Amino acid sequence: MESIVLALFVCLVLAIITKYLSIPPIPFYIIGGVLLGKSGFGLVTSDEIGHFFSQMGLIFLLFFMGLELKLERIAANRSAVLTSGIIDLNVNMLIGFVAAYLFGFSLIESAVIASAFYISSTAMAITSLVENRKLMMREAETVIWLMVFEDLVLIIFLAIISAGDQDPLLFLLKIAGVLAILYAIAHYGKEFLIGLLDRSDELPLLFTFAAVLTTASFSMYIGVPETMMVIALGAALATTDPDAFEQHARPFKDVFLVVFFVFFGITINLGGGIDMVMILTISLLAIVSKFISGILTGIFIHESALAGIEIWGNTIGRGEFSIALAALYGSPLVATVIAAMVIVTSIVGAFTAKYCTGLRKWMAMPGRRPPHHAHTGR
Amino acid sequence: MGHWYAFFFYSLTSYASVLHNHQISLASIFFMPLRSVNLPGVGTKYEFTTDKGDTVAIFFTKSGTIQMYTLQQGCRTPSAAEMTPMEARRLGNILTGAIIEAESESVEIAFSALADLRITIHTYLIQKAIAGKTIEDLQIRTKTGVTVIAVSRKDRNIINPPPSFVFETGDAVVVIGETDQLKRFEREVMVD
Repeated sequence: MESIVLALFVCLVLAIITKYLSIPPIPFYIIGGVLLGKSGFGLVTSDEIGHFFSQMGLIFLLFFMGLELKLERIAANRSAVLTSGIIDLNVNMLIGFVAAYLFGFSLIESAVIASAFYISSTAMAITSLVENRKLMMREAETVIWLMVFEDLVLIIFLAIISAGDQDPLLFLLKIAGVLAILYAIAHYGKEFLIGLLDRSDELPLLFTFAAVLTTASFSMYIGVPETMMVIALGAALATTDPDAFEQHARPFKDVFLVVFFVFFGITINLGGGIDMVMILTISLLAIVSKFISGILTGIFIHESALAGIEIWGNTIGRGEFSIALAALYGSPLVATVIAAMVIVTSIVGAFTAKYCTGLRKWMAMPGRRPPHHAHTGR
Repeated sequence: MGHWYAFFFYSLTSYASVLHNHQISLASIFFMPLRSVNLPGVGTKYEFTTDKGDTVAIFFTKSGTIQMYTLQQGCRTPSAAEMTPMEARRLGNILTGAIIEAESESVEIAFSALADLRITIHTYLIQKAIAGKTIEDLQIRTKTGVTVIAVSRKDRNIINPPPSFVFETGDAVVVIGETDQLKRFEREVMVD
């Protein structure tokens, strides 16, 4: 119990500092966890409660992602989502996978690293677009849809990797069954749910919490991946009143997710034969490969390689989903690699998000600084 | 969250009612195509280009703030302002300007103990069009539901004016009611 209190206190201090400096908090939560854990001062060990809290963080992160996943909206923007999404997927998955495989990871491990390597942090990208006042840029929309596409890929990846050693037909039947139940509840209970969420007492929060937990444990019980099912729950409930659900799930997500990051850091083992060169190479490659995909997307979507710099600058940061993949499927070494990559890319990403517009202008006029663009909108 | 949502909804409904009631507004809305986009994770974007080629974009973000960007034609970098819902509402009031003169202002009071009762007190300047008419002539309460609680005329204040009270140009009236009723008052009485 003391350990979770200590962890929470550290989170609070880190949250205050990072918000005050307006830098992404995720890398600092992980570093905080590393310092508290066995690689640092050994003050906190992952106990039952910490584990439960982390689990909640992961589940609520995915539930939240499901709520944002409005399939009809994606279908309406297919062309915008597809081109940039496919470039991003191919370039980054490929570079991530080849790099990991060449460093001697197994096929499965390389696939996990490649996915974590590929998936940018939606939270960081969107926060940086809003905070750096970039929403109006044409590239901003591309970045936003890119994040949506990445989420879709993550779902497919979760499905493939968790289907693993099960009978595929039975597995699909089970998933279809749970999906049918979830959508039936959302469809036939719509009026009831909306009425329930509208109340001002404890019912909306209680219902949201219970619905997510019930779905997760029921999925575990019948042997379908709970990660996918909470995303599906989110997507199903998004057909009722997504804003209300977001509002009620946010407190759980915010608190548990921070604990999740810290406890992830705590379990990281930096001692004993970690190949720092390999870790740094992968982290730097993660920045370079987003540069390549960004420039390509800029050329294909905006007909300007320079637009790609803007896309690059805002998608470098890897974050919550990479950590989630590491926590779910990573061996200790894989988790360490991903943690380092998240820390490096998210810190670099915070700077590039701020300064890439300037960099782009500077590159547009080689040799001289643009004198008549004194105001940069910041 | 709930706050900006209410505001958002309110602006939508008032937009719709403008469409129903005033042909002039209808025409002007057709003149500037307003694009609205739902951006997952971010919020809703409204964008339009003016006749002169300048672009204005408004974002209602999920965090509840409102960002307004303006991009001058031929310029590459937009300038941006971030507003709270309150500030955005104030800006909206300024921009709808025709009725509300600079001297008009509004205060909203919420009584949380009374089922979140919200009452708005708004001041207006009387225009030439309704000068010379009485409160009774204008059927203010029957038509709109608002009540005129005070009139300020040349350094003199009349509290609770009687139905026979005759308005003069330049009177500042203090009106109390719900937001919707005040909207109706602006549409149906102040423009007469």
